[in-house]
Amino acid sequence: MKINRREFIQISGAAAAGLALSSCAGKGGMFTPARDQAKMLQIQDAKETTTICPYCAVGCGAIVHTANSGKKRAINIEGDPGHVINRGTLCSKGAALRQLAENDQRVTQPMYRAPYSKEWQKVDWEWALTRIAQKVKATRDGTFEARNAKDQVVNRTMGIASVGSAALDNEECWTYQALMRAIGLVYIEHQARI
Amino acid sequence: MSKSFFVDTTLCTACRGCQVACKQWHDLPAEKTENRGTYQNPADLSFDTYKLVRMNEAVIGGQLKWLFFPDQCRHCLEAPCLETAGDPAAIYYDEPSGAVIYTAATKNLDAAEIIESCPYNIPRKALDGTLAKCDMCYDRVAAGMQPACVKTCPTGAMNFGERADMLDLAQNRLTVLKRTHRGAMLLDPDDIRVVFMVAYDPGLYHEHAVASHSGHGISRQVALRRMLRPLKNLVSPFA
Amino acid sequence: MTNHWIDIKNSDCIMIMGSNAAENHPISFRYVTEAQQKGAKLISVDPRFTRTSARADLYAPMRSGTDIAILGGMIKYIIDNNLYNKEYIAAYTNAAFIVGTDYYFDDGLFAGFDRTSKKYDKKKWAFEMDANGVPKMDRTLEHPRCVFQILKKHFDRYNIALVSRISGTPQTDLKEIYQTYGATGARGKAGTIMYAMGWTQHTVGTQNIRTMAIIQLLLGNMGVAGGGVNALRGESNVQGSTDHCLLWHIWPGYLKTPRASNFSLAAYNQKWTPKSNDPLSANWWQNYPKYSISLLKSFFGDSAVAKNDYGYDWLPKVDDGKHYSWLDLFDEMYKGTFKGFFAWGQNPACSGAHAGKTRQALKKLDWMVNVNIFDNETGSFWRGPGEDPTKIKTEVFFLPAAVSIEKEGSITNSGRWSQWRYEGPRPLGSSLPDGQIIMELGNKIKAQYKDGGTFPEPIRNLKWDYAAKGTYDPHAVAKEINGYFLKDVTVKGKAFKKGTLVPSFAYLQADGSTSSGNWLYCNSYTEKGNMAARRSVKDAPNNIGLYPEFAWCWPVNRRIIYNRASVDLQGQPWDKSDWVIKWDGAKWSGGDVPDGGWPPIGSFDNPNPKARHAFIMRKHGHGQIFGPGRADGPLPEHYEPMECPVEKNFMSSTYTNPTAAVYGTEADVYKTCDPRFPFVGTTYRVVEHWQTGVMTRHQPWLLEMQPQVFVEMSEELAALKGIKNGERVVATSARGRLECTAIVTKRFKPLKVAGQLGAEVHQVGFPWCFGWQKPDSGKEESANLLTPSTGDPNTRIPETKAFMVNIQKV
Repeated sequence: MKINRREFIQISGAAAAGLALSSCAGKGGMFTPARDQAKMLQIQDAKETTTICPYCAVGCGAIVHTANSGKKRAINIEGDPGHVINRGTLCSKGAALRQLAENDQRVTQPMYRAPYSKEWQKVDWEWALTRIAQKVKATRDGTFEARNAKDQVVNRTMGIASVGSAALDNEECWTYQALMRAIGLVYIEHQARI
Repeated sequence: MSKSFFVDTTLCTACRGCQVACKQWHDLPAEKTENRGTYQNPADLSFDTYKLVRMNEAVIGGQLKWLFFPDQCRHCLEAPCLETAGDPAAIYYDEPSGAVIYTAATKNLDAAEIIESCPYNIPRKALDGTLAKCDMCYDRVAAGMQPACVKTCPTGAMNFGERADMLDLAQNRLTVLKRTHRGAMLLDPDDIRVVFMVAYDPGLYHEHAVASHSGHGISRQVALRRMLRPLKNLVSPFA
Repeated sequence: MTNHWIDIKNSDCIMIMGSNAAENHPISFRYVTEAQQKGAKLISVDPRFTRTSARADLYAPMRSGTDIAILGGMIKYIIDNNLYNKEYIAAYTNAAFIVGTDYYFDDGLFAGFDRTSKKYDKKKWAFEMDANGVPKMDRTLEHPRCVFQILKKHFDRYNIALVSRISGTPQTDLKEIYQTYGATGARGKAGTIMYAMGWTQHTVGTQNIRTMAIIQLLLGNMGVAGGGVNALRGESNVQGSTDHCLLWHIWPGYLKTPRASNFSLAAYNQKWTPKSNDPLSANWWQNYPKYSISLLKSFFGDSAVAKNDYGYDWLPKVDDGKHYSWLDLFDEMYKGTFKGFFAWGQNPACSGAHAGKTRQALKKLDWMVNVNIFDNETGSFWRGPGEDPTKIKTEVFFLPAAVSIEKEGSITNSGRWSQWRYEGPRPLGSSLPDGQIIMELGNKIKAQYKDGGTFPEPIRNLKWDYAAKGTYDPHAVAKEINGYFLKDVTVKGKAFKKGTLVPSFAYLQADGSTSSGNWLYCNSYTEKGNMAARRSVKDAPNNIGLYPEFAWCWPVNRRIIYNRASVDLQGQPWDKSDWVIKWDGAKWSGGDVPDGGWPPIGSFDNPNPKARHAFIMRKHGHGQIFGPGRADGPLPEHYEPMECPVEKNFMSSTYTNPTAAVYGTEADVYKTCDPRFPFVGTTYRVVEHWQTGVMTRHQPWLLEMQPQVFVEMSEELAALKGIKNGERVVATSARGRLECTAIVTKRFKPLKVAGQLGAEVHQVGFPWCFGWQKPDSGKEESANLLTPSTGDPNTRIPETKAFMVNIQKV
C-alpha cells in the first residue's frame, strides 16, 4: 500500500493555501518582531512525517517537520489534526517531543566503561557489538543448563537476564524476544511488570 | 476577520500542553526553576514565558477546588500598553487578527511604564529592555491555523475563532454553567480578545484575572491620550 | 483496554480509580469531557485530590490499599438494591455455575490453603460438572451453591459502615458513589472504569481489578459502548511489547512459555490447549496448536520441521512452579546469579520497587549492556551516589538508540490499536534504531557460533532475514509477525499461494504450512497492505467512534472486545442508540467486528445449535464472576497492604494477602504498624514527566515545570511536623531515604480509620520520575528508594502504592 503522506497532512486542518505571511511582516514589512518568527517559512519547505507520541499509551498522532536543508533536523512538532484520537491536540509531554530528539545531552556514540574505571570512553559500534557478542557466548556457554535438577530438558542459560522494553516498536520487540529466547534466556522481563 | 479566544477554565485539566506548545512554536528557552511548594512553574510570566497555567487551591462551599487559569495576554480591544507606547513601530495592532504585537523597537520604550499600564500584568522585559508577551501566534493565524496553545488543548478549554463566534460560544457555555454555578461569569468580555469563563470569584484564580483586580489603573499618559484620540475609536467593534 | 480511548465518550458514568487520567493520560480527557458534556458523571476516588479530581463531579478520598473494601461494598450495594442486569449475568457470566462442595470461605481464607507452602489447592474451587463434562448451571441463580449466591454471601460482610472504617472514606461519599455508578446497571446505560498502576501495584493488585470486573459484569457493562474494564497502559508500546511477550512466562500472542514438564511439542500443546465439552462454547483457545506451531515456524523458518518438533526443544524451558519475574530477577541478581545483563530502554535503578536493592544487585554483574537515548542511573550505577567506581567490577556498554521520530515501525496503544509511524530526521550522530542494533547484535552472536559453541542450534537456526542490504527493515518483520502461507494450500475453501500473507488467524494451521510471529497480529499486514498505516477518518455506520479503517486493532480489528455481550439473547443491543453490534436475522451488520460470526443464542431452553456463548476466550464461554484460576482465591477479599498503619484487618483475622510474594535477603525488610514509620506513603507520576524521567528530565521545557522531587502532605501533617511549604524534608522507610521538597496542600487530608496508629491516618505521596543523574544537582532521587520488594501473587507486580514512611525536616 503506497501512501503519499504529503497528500493528507496539513498541520492546520485548514486550507493549505493560506501560508501567505503578510501579517508576519507587520504593516508593510517595516517592523522587526521582538523575536525571530521564521518558523512558518521554515516549515513550508520542510519534510512532513507523521509519528505516534512515545510517552503514554493514548497513542496520539503528531506531525514532524524536518528541515530539508542544513542539519536536516526536526524544527517543529505538533499534534496531527487528521488523527482521530487526539485531533491535533497534545499534552505538555507530547508538545515537548521535539526536545527529546533535538537534545545535546543525547549520547550519540557507543560508550564503554571498563571494570573499576571511573569514566566512560567512546568506542565504535563494531568493537562494542563484537565484544558484547563474545561476552554473551562466554557467559551462555559457561552457564548453559541442558537439563534441570529433575533431569528435564530445559536448554537455557541462567547466567544472563534482560529487561526491556515498552519503548521499542512492535517489530523491534518481536526480533528482540526472538534473539533473547534463541540465546536461551528465561529471565526476560519488562515494564509491564512494574 | 477580527479574532478572539474563549477560555473555559471549567474544562482545563492543567495538562500544560498550551504552556509548552507556546514555547515550542516560538522556540522560547526554558527557565531555571525550583519547586516552591506548588506545581505551578515557572512562578510567573516572563520574557521567555508567554503562557502560564496558574494553579490555586480553594475551599468553596465546604468543597475543595483546584482552580486552573491558563494566563496570557488578553489582546485588549483598546490596549493601554499600545496607547501608552504611542509608537506603532514598537506596539501595534495586527489588523487582520486584532492581535497586539510587540516589536524589537519596544527596547526603546519605558518598559516600567508599559508594564504598569497593563491591567492584567502581562508584558515582561528582557535584560536589554525589549518587551515580549503572547503574540496570538499571528503568523499561524494569518496562515489559517489556530494559535499553538489552542490547537494543542485536548478538552476544549482553549478556543479561538471569529470574535462573534467566540462570544456566542462563551454566552452559550455561560448559560449552561450558571445552572450549576450561580457565580459563574465571563471576564471583561467587552474589552478584550481573550475571554475567560470562571465558575467562582475570579480573584481565587489569579490576582489579575480581571482588570478591576489589577490595582494599576490607567496611567496618566493613557488618560491623556484617550482624551485626545479620535472619536471613531470609541465605537465598540461589535456594538 | 477492552474498549478504546474514543469510546469513553459513550459512557454514562466514568469511574477513575487506581489511575489519574488527567495527569497521566491527558488526551483521554478529551473524551471524558465529551461524555460529561452529554450528561455523564465523573467519579474520582483517590488518596489524594488530583487534577483528575479537579474535574470530577464526585471526589472521595481513601486510604491507599483499601480498594477491595470500597468496591466490595459496591458489589453488596448493587446486589442488595437489585441494580444488576439479571438477564445479562444469567446468560453471559458464570453467575449460574454451581460450585463444588469442597469450596468454602472462612475468616479470610478460601478452601485449600496450605500454611506451609502459602499456596492454595485450586481444585477445591472447581465447578460441578454434569455427565457430559459441562459445568452444571442454574440460570435462575437460586441454587445455594451457584456463583451468584456465593458472591452475595461473600460480600454481605462489606457494609458501608465497615468499609468506611477500613478505607477512611466517608459513608456519605461511599453511598453516593455506589448509587451513581450502580445506576449504570439499567439497560441502555454504560459505566466505565479507567484504572492503571494505582490498582496493579498492590499485593492484592489482581483482585482489585477482579472486583471491578465483577461489578462490570453485574451491571452488564462488559462488551457495550462506553463500558468495559479499561487498563490505561502507561507506555506508548507497553501494550504491543506485552502482546509480543517480553516477559518470562509467555510467548508472543500470550502463548505459554514451556514448562520443563512439557517434554515435547505434543505434550506442550496438550497441556495448554483447553478442552470444552459444551457444544455452545467457542473455546477459542482450542486453536492453540495452530498458533504455537506457526510461531515456531517464524522463529526458525525452514529449519523448523515436524521431525524436530518445529525446533520446540531449541527454546528455553522454565521450571514448573518457579517464578522468573521482575522482583525474582533482581532478587537473583542481588544473590549473584547472573554474570550478564541487558537493560534495553529501561531504567531499573530507578523504576523497580526497592531501588536500593536493585542498585546493589547491579554491582554483582560482570557485564551490562544499557541501550538508551540518554545516559541513565542504570548504565551509570557505578558512579552513583555513595559508590566508589574503583571497587566496582562491572564492564558496561552504552549503546545509543534513535528516538521514535527517527525510525519507522508500529506501536500499539492502550486501546489495542497498532499504529505505524515514519522516520522524520535521520538518527542523530551514530545512534541507531533499536531494530538495527538488535539485527547487528544477532549477526555478531550468530558469527560467534559459526564454528561451534554449546548447543548452537537455536542460534544458528534462528530465522534472521529482516535486513535489506544490512539495513533493518521493519516491514519485513511486520509481515513475519502477521505470517505467511509457506505452501500452496486451500483453507476453508479458499486457495492461497505460497509466500502470500495470511489474511487472518482463522487461516493459520498446525501442520507447518503457515508461519505467524504473533497470531493476535495475524490480519495486521496482509496482501491488502499495512493495516496499521491506515488513516481513514470515516466512522462505522453505528457512529459510535469506532473508526474501523483508522490504524488496525487486535484481534481482527475488533474495537470493543466481548461485544457479543452488548446484545440480548436475540442479538438486539441493550443500548439502542450507542449500539456495538446488531443481529439482522441473518448476520451481524453495521457495527463492530463481532466476537465471532455465530448467530445469537435465542433462548437457553432451545438454543440455536450454531450459536456460541458470548465470552469466546473463556473455556466455558462465560464471563468469570467466580475466578478459580487466581493464586489468591476465586473471589476478591480485602487484606491489608504488607506495610500498613492499622494493627488488624477489620474484615477478618487474615491480616495480609497470605499468598503475597515476599523475599528473604537482608535487604528485604518490611515494617508494618511501626511507630518509626507512621505515615502511609504512595507513589505516582505527573503529567510533566514520564516513568523514571529519562525521557523527560533531559528536556528543559519539562524540567522547567517540574524541576524537583517532592512529597505532598496535608496541612495537618505539616503542622504536626513543623514543616513549611516549599522546604526540603527527608522521607524514610525501612529501606531507604529520600530528600525532597514539601508541597503542603489541601489535596491530602488525614483520615479517620479504625485501629489506626495515632489519632488519624496521614498519607503522603511522591512522584517517582526523578533520579540522581539529571537534573545536574544530583539531589533529586528516585522515590523507589523507599518502596518495598513485595508483590501480587499472580502478577508479582510490586506494592509501590502503599507502604509506610516517616517525614522529617532536614
